[in-house]
Amino acid sequence: MASTVKYVRVPPPSANIAEARKRVFEFFKTACRSIPTIMEIYTLDDVVTPTKLRSTITSEFRKNAHVTNPQVIDMLLIKGTEELSNIVEHAKQRHHIIGQYVLSREDSNQETKDEGTSDFLKSFYKGNYV
Amino acid sequence: MVLGQLASRALLRSRTSAHRHILRRAIVSTPDLHNSEPAVAAAPEPDLPPRKPVAGARVHFPNPDDAIEVFVDGYPVKIPKGMTVLQACVVAGVDIPRFCYHDRLSIAGNCRMCLVEVEKSPKPVASCAMPALPGMKIKTDTPIAKKAREGVMEFLLMNHPLDCPICDQGGECDLQDQSMAFGSDRGRFTEMKRSVVDKNLGPCVRFATEVAGVQDLGILGRGSGEEIGTYVEKLMTSELSGNVIDICPVGALTSKPFAFKARNWELKGTETIDVTDAVGSNIRIDSRGPEVMRIVPRLNEDINEEWISDKTRFFYDGLKRQRLNDPMIRGADGRFKVVSWRDALAVVAEVIHKNKPEEIVGVAGKLSDAESMIALKDFLNKMGSNNIWCEGNGPNPNADLRSGYIMNTSISGLEKADAFLLIGTQPRVEAAMVNARIQKTVRATNAKVGYVGPPADFNYDHEHLGTGPETLTELAEGRHPFNSALSNAKNPAIILGAGIFERKDKEAIFSVVETIAKKINAVRPDWNGLNVLLLNAAQSAALDLGLVPESEKSIESAKFLYLMGADDLNLEKLPEDAFVVYQGHHGDRGVYRANVILPASAFSEKEGTYANTEGCAQTTVPAVPTVGDARDDWKIIRALSEVAGVTLPYGSLGAIRSRIKTVAPNLLLADEREPAVFSSSDLRPEVKEKMDKAPFGTAVENFYMTDAITRASKIMAQCSALLKK
Repeated sequence: MASTVKYVRVPPPSANIAEARKRVFEFFKTACRSIPTIMEIYTLDDVVTPTKLRSTITSEFRKNAHVTNPQVIDMLLIKGTEELSNIVEHAKQRHHIIGQYVLSREDSNQETKDEGTSDFLKSFYKGNYV
Repeated sequence: MVLGQLASRALLRSRTSAHRHILRRAIVSTPDLHNSEPAVAAAPEPDLPPRKPVAGARVHFPNPDDAIEVFVDGYPVKIPKGMTVLQACVVAGVDIPRFCYHDRLSIAGNCRMCLVEVEKSPKPVASCAMPALPGMKIKTDTPIAKKAREGVMEFLLMNHPLDCPICDQGGECDLQDQSMAFGSDRGRFTEMKRSVVDKNLGPCVRFATEVAGVQDLGILGRGSGEEIGTYVEKLMTSELSGNVIDICPVGALTSKPFAFKARNWELKGTETIDVTDAVGSNIRIDSRGPEVMRIVPRLNEDINEEWISDKTRFFYDGLKRQRLNDPMIRGADGRFKVVSWRDALAVVAEVIHKNKPEEIVGVAGKLSDAESMIALKDFLNKMGSNNIWCEGNGPNPNADLRSGYIMNTSISGLEKADAFLLIGTQPRVEAAMVNARIQKTVRATNAKVGYVGPPADFNYDHEHLGTGPETLTELAEGRHPFNSALSNAKNPAIILGAGIFERKDKEAIFSVVETIAKKINAVRPDWNGLNVLLLNAAQSAALDLGLVPESEKSIESAKFLYLMGADDLNLEKLPEDAFVVYQGHHGDRGVYRANVILPASAFSEKEGTYANTEGCAQTTVPAVPTVGDARDDWKIIRALSEVAGVTLPYGSLGAIRSRIKTVAPNLLLADEREPAVFSSSDLRPEVKEKMDKAPFGTAVENFYMTDAITRASKIMAQCSALLKK
C-alpha cells in the first residue's frame, strides 16, 4: 500500500477556480469517507465521535476558505492528501491523532466560550500551576 | 561505604597467606598516633581567629557569678557552672563526635565516642559526662583524643554487621558518618561477622522513658549480647514512639513504613508544618517525585521541640489513597460522572443562584487553610449568606475574644506551670506534643495534675477529680480537695478541651472555669494560665477570621450546602432535597451525600496559612504536585465566584493575604506567636443558663484517625486496629 502512495502522481494544475473547487469537494468527500477506517485503526471510539471528526475536517477546510488562487488551492490539496494518506496508512500513532484532531479542538472550541472571562479563570481551567 | 571496604578487606584477609596477613595486620592506624605521650601543652596564642559556637548554640547564665572559664584547644570560653565538658566544647565551636549523648535526654556516657584529652588527667575523659571545672584545659584535637576515637570506632564496628548497602539508615547514619570522619581505615577483627541484629547505645530507651513516658522499650542482656527490644513481645504503646527512629544514631530502629522504600539522597526535603492536630508541629516532608516518602520532625523549641507524634509521622500514606482527582457531578442514577471544571463550576453557579440567601450554608473542614476560609466567607457573603463556620467550633462559637479560644500560656510556657487542671480534655490523644510538654514539666518539677472528664489514659501522675460539670462547681466554690494544690501553685494552668465547644452549656462552663481561674489567680499580668486546647488545624484561624454561623439551626434549613473539606459534620438533619457541593481532597464521609465534587489539593501540595492552638501562624509549603485535575482550595472558590457572577477581588495569594490582613493581621505574622490582648473574663457578658449535668465526653475517639487523610491511611488503620486489641 505504501508503494502505491509513493508513486502517486501530482495531478496537473487546475485550470481555473471552478476546477480547483471541484477537486476540493472531491477531497473533502474522500476524507469524510475515510473516517470509519480512521476510527477503527486508531480505536478512537471512546474519545471522539465520527461527527466530531467530520467537523474537525470541515474546520481544517474552512481555515483556508479565503484562498482564491487555484495554484495555492492545488498546493493545499496536495498537502491535505499527504496528511490523509499518512493517517489512513497508520503512519501516525494514536496520540498524534488525539493530540492534533481531538484534544486541541476541544480547547479551541472552549476558548470561544471563555471570552469575557478573566485571566485568572482561563489559567484556572488550564491547570493548577499555570 | 567504609564498611563496604572493610568487608572486602575482611574477605581478602581470609584468602591471603598467613605471612602477608601479618604484614597487613601490622598497619593499624596512622603511624603518628602511636606515640601516645600526652601532647605538650602549647601556650595559648593570643591572636587566635575567633570561633563560633556549633549550630549557633547559646549560653544561658542563670547566675552571672557562676561563670567559669575553661580552655578548649587554647581558646578561653566562659560557661556557667555545671556544664559538661562536651557542652563547653560546643560553646567553643568544637563539635565532639558522640552517639549516646542527646541534648534533651539524660546523660548515659556509655558510647565513649566523645573522649577528649584534659590536661593533668591520666586518661582521656568522656566529655559528655564530665562536668567542666574552672581553668580546665580541654584538648579535642590531639593524637590521644584521635586515637581514643579511633579505638572506640573500631570496637563499635567490631560487632557491626556488614550490611550498610541494604541498611535503611545508609546515607544518614551517624555511625557511617563518624566512621568516615574519625575511624581507622582498617580493623583488627578477623572472626566471622554476625548479620543484622544490632548493638545499641540506648538513647531510644532513655527517650521512651523520659519524653514519651513509657517503660516498654528496654535493654535486654549485657555486653555483646545486649539488644534493644520491647519487653515480652509487647507493643510500644506510645503516641511518640516514632521519635526513636530519629534519635537512634544507627540503623537499629528504622521506620517500618519507610523501610527499603527510598534512600535519603534521592529525597527532596520541604520544610512545612503538620495539620493533623492543632499543634502545628514543624515537619519536613521528604518526597521523591510526586510521592511523599516520609515525614520527619523539624526543630521548633516553642512548639514541638524536636519530636512529632506518630500520627504526624506515619499518616502520609493517606495522601495517596482515596484521592479525588476530577470534578464530578452525580447523575440521575446516583452515580458520579467525571466532568470538566467548566461544567462543574457552571452547574454549581446555576444552583446557588436558585436558592434563597438564608438557605445557603458553608462549612470549612478541619484541614482548611486561612486563605480558602476567607475566600469561602467572602464568596458566601457576596451571595447574601452569612452561615459559614468551621467544623469543630460548635454551633455557637465565641470568636469575639481571642483569649477565649487560644492557649494563652503558649505551649512552651506550660513548662513554667506548677499545677495543671485539665477539663474535658485528653491531651495525650488530642495534642500529643502538648501532652509531651506537660509530661516534661511533671517529670521535671513534680507539678500536680488534676483531671476532670471521662476516665482516660495518662502517661504521668494525675488525680482524677471527677467526670462532669459538678466537679467544676465544687472547684469554683472551693469545696474540692484539689483546690489547695491549685491555690498553692505559683503558676497554675487550666486547660479546657475544645470538645466543650460542641456542648449546649458551653457558655456556663466557660464562666465557671473563669471563676476558678480568678479564685486561684491564674490570670495575672505576668501569667495567663487559662487555656483552650483546640483539636483541629483550622479552628484557630477560622475563629480569627470570624467564621461564625448566623443561626444555630442552619443545617436543618439548608438548601445549598458547601462543604470545604468538611467530613465530620452530622448531615442527618439536612433536608433531602438540599444540594451539596463537596470541595476536598479525599473521598471521605462528605462525598457520600455530595451532588458535585470539586477536587482540591491537600496540605502537602499547597501554600496555606494555619494558626495553631497557641495562636502561632505558620504556612505550609508545597512539597509535591497536586493529584489529577485538582486545584488549590482558594482558587476553586475564586473561580466559582467568577462563574457565579460575584467575582472576588483577589486573584493571587498575595492579594488574598492582604485581604486577610484587614480581618486578622495576626495570621500574616508567620512563625510568630501573637498573644491575645484582652483577657476574656472581664469583658464577657454574664451567663444566665445553668450547666448541664451530663459528664464531659471524649473529643477524640481514635487518636490515629481524626480526619480525612488519616482515615485514608493504611498505616493509621493498622495502628488503631493494633491498639484496640
